[in-house]
Amino acid sequence: MTRLLWIPRGIGLGLLAFLIFGPLLNLLLWAFAEKWFYPNAFPSDWGFSYWGRVFSPRGAAWEALGNSLTVALLTVALSLMLSIPAGYALARLPLPAKALILLSFLIPQAFPNLTVYVNIARIFYQFGLNGTIAGVVIVHTVHGLVLSVWIATAAFSAVPRDGEEAARSMGAGPFRAFRDVTLPQALPGLLAAAIFVFLESLDEFTGSYFVGAPDVQMLPLTLFTAAGGGNYQIASITALLLLVPSIGFMLLVERFLKADVLARVGK
Amino acid sequence: MPSPALPRHRSALPGLLLVAPALAMVLVFFVLPLAASVTGAFATEEGRSLANFAKIADLYLPDILFTLLVIGLSTLLIAVFSLAIAGYLTLGRNPRAVALLRWLYRWPLFIPFIVTAQVLRTFLAKNGMLNGGLELVGLVDPATASNWLDGRAIVFAFVWKQTPFVTLLVAGAMTSLDRGTIEAALNMGASRLRTLWDIVTPQVAGTLMTGLILSIVTMMSVLSVPMMLNATAPTTITADIAFRINAYGDYGVANALGVVSLLMTSGFAILYLRLGLKERT
Amino acid sequence: MKTTFATALAFGVSLSPAFAQELTVLTAGDQNMVDYVNEYLGPLFEAEHPGVTVRAVGTGPGDAGSQKILERFEAQAGANASVWDTDVAVVHEKFAGPMVTAGYLAAYRDAITTGSLVTRANADMALGAEVKGYVMPMFNSQTALAYNPAMVETPPQSYDALKAWAAEHPGQFGYNGIKGGASGVSFVMGWIYAYGEGDAAKLMNGPFEEAETGKWDKAFDELAAFTKNATLTAGNAGTLDMLAQGEIAIGPVWVDMFYSWKANGQLPEDFRLVLPEPGMPGQPMHYVIPEKAPNADLARAFVELATSPKVQAEGIVERFNWYPGIDAGHVQAELPAETWDKLFTDVTPDQLAARGKPFPIAPYNIAILEAYERHLAQ
Repeated sequence: MTRLLWIPRGIGLGLLAFLIFGPLLNLLLWAFAEKWFYPNAFPSDWGFSYWGRVFSPRGAAWEALGNSLTVALLTVALSLMLSIPAGYALARLPLPAKALILLSFLIPQAFPNLTVYVNIARIFYQFGLNGTIAGVVIVHTVHGLVLSVWIATAAFSAVPRDGEEAARSMGAGPFRAFRDVTLPQALPGLLAAAIFVFLESLDEFTGSYFVGAPDVQMLPLTLFTAAGGGNYQIASITALLLLVPSIGFMLLVERFLKADVLARVGK
Repeated sequence: MPSPALPRHRSALPGLLLVAPALAMVLVFFVLPLAASVTGAFATEEGRSLANFAKIADLYLPDILFTLLVIGLSTLLIAVFSLAIAGYLTLGRNPRAVALLRWLYRWPLFIPFIVTAQVLRTFLAKNGMLNGGLELVGLVDPATASNWLDGRAIVFAFVWKQTPFVTLLVAGAMTSLDRGTIEAALNMGASRLRTLWDIVTPQVAGTLMTGLILSIVTMMSVLSVPMMLNATAPTTITADIAFRINAYGDYGVANALGVVSLLMTSGFAILYLRLGLKERT
Repeated sequence: MKTTFATALAFGVSLSPAFAQELTVLTAGDQNMVDYVNEYLGPLFEAEHPGVTVRAVGTGPGDAGSQKILERFEAQAGANASVWDTDVAVVHEKFAGPMVTAGYLAAYRDAITTGSLVTRANADMALGAEVKGYVMPMFNSQTALAYNPAMVETPPQSYDALKAWAAEHPGQFGYNGIKGGASGVSFVMGWIYAYGEGDAAKLMNGPFEEAETGKWDKAFDELAAFTKNATLTAGNAGTLDMLAQGEIAIGPVWVDMFYSWKANGQLPEDFRLVLPEPGMPGQPMHYVIPEKAPNADLARAFVELATSPKVQAEGIVERFNWYPGIDAGHVQAELPAETWDKLFTDVTPDQLAARGKPFPIAPYNIAILEAYERHLAQ
């Protein structure tokens, strides 16, 4: 009886694999398709001519990739800098209306941001922040803060208090105790937060456009233009390009993305 | 007032100081511009009024319902799938299948929404790979096949993209559970499905809800997916906002739609708080 | 936090290339518009002006792309910026009027030598708003029905014929509604020109009268019934894509996109166009220069080059098969006859003259779109 269990298990996993990799396979096919019409099930011409167009000296793909990466990394840095103290306080220190504070970080995601970013752009122009990497980083940070603060809070609540208390009783200052005892233990959770902020930043479009363009070109903008124009090849190649940092980052930090790290999110 | 320097005092000051920079960031760079948007929702040429909301009632009620339906259905499916996957990861007996599943389910997490929309557009087309696969197993007749590019495509995209995220959180919560009770239930002959539903799920409900609320706000604000995948009317609120601005240059109704959307997410958030509080007490 | 900020700012400064002579060109429209500036116009201009770099930024297809340019201008005007960040912008006709009215644009047409090469009315008036002097048309575009000859034996020469054909072939006609781009909007406008009970000429030329907006109910009810029998596509590109994939047989498209797709190998060679009676709208894309452009002299020189007969012939007609922006006579002289004739393979010059319409003036435009939403979105 149990021997036959491999059948439903195989079918289930196969179906899941098809649903997950089918769309991605489609993306790969389009990236190398020169011609692909109905009723051909597969491209009738293959080649690299669209790759040449994306990476042509004036195609600005490299610049967009560089900008997207820079912004994503700086966003991660700024988010962590804000979320580590906030998450620590929310997890450990007495605070009034904790739930409300946590929820307030949801606001930037809860309002459709198109109209808000128009206003932000207006404000940024006055401070010369428009069209700068710094401006885009700020917008992305605010947008991703809910993930980093919530996950950081969870990470700190998962660390037992006794270590820090022991360090304090042995005469270490509060900052020292935090740095040497609590922070290292919370690190995997904080790195998980970093992953999500990084992905969120790579994906962000509206804010990048209103605050960044034309001085700061980002990959999602390139992708949106190509996709909206129905140029599937260029869109697919740009999409693949966008996947490189995502998957690279994933491989780099995957060992930190352990399930138990996230066990306490929302508690 | 007790001095904040004393460690054991229940003063809220140090905590507030540590939270302040992050909160200030949200306040200055989002809440203030947001306030301008909310006031804009009531601004019309004839001064302050509810005219923009009247127009919404006139034109966009079906779209609001459609949005609720799409988000609701997506959330439900995400909950089911993430519980199923996380459950199998926790209770599965075949280590190879568990390892394979663990490797498999995460991929969409790393695919940006805009890429998701782009790939699904071709995957779900009439002659796309999904129909191709269904034809292969005889579920769809190529002559009468139709494309999936309507509300179903949006739900597909949302579930595809968000399930791994929620699964990750839920699986995390499940691994930290006490294995003892689970083993006990299994030993007493409870099926794994029963164990998952009766023993495991109640204990991870809080985490599941958190994952779902984060998914809901994300789905509510994603523009690329409905724009690229949904051809039919009705459409989602975000697409209407974009249309209101692009076709009419009408920020009043766009802002009012934003307020409606905010009210909807607030509704979900209040529900979440209620459930969360009940659990904690 | 302070240090992060400083680092971030330093990064921003060091990464954004701050050349003294950089000409920033914002362009609405599809990727091919960005490519046109990047791959063709830019290098041409740089060769004439050593030391200048042309930087093209696409703001996205359709009205949304132009709207984003308008919003950029609004934001900079609102912030009282003394120098803006855009030298030249390419916008849809619909947005030229609001930009002129708001005082964002420089009146430069009389200051450039090619200004006198344009006499067509749509370079003076844009959907009922006077824009004379502020715009130069980059090219004129037209919508038409693209069809797959294998699936459509006799292409419908009129809206009536299309209605009859679509009734016999359910689901084979596809269009993108009004929320996914202007080719669908254009089809709807043509429908109202054909079946609205008012005066189509008044819709195109004004004046705006509220009473006129009540004369479309029957036409919209018919359109609702017609749409039930049609396939809805996701955007201008979606229609072309579904044509290429054999999902639909016929649908409204932009002529310029149609030819670009063919040139790219995204559409089979044998696909054709037909412009049905009484006609469908078209519109020009306009070059505009902001009043506070950082390099106004260079900007004017750029537009002058872009609207010169040689560039219009070589870049617009020969490269892309688009209808020229300046008067045809100046362009035709620059080209061999067969290249010129290629423009009119499917739609003859006579048909274009008779059936190529402007869009309705702005207030009617809005009223028709809202009426569509009311009748069809429910």
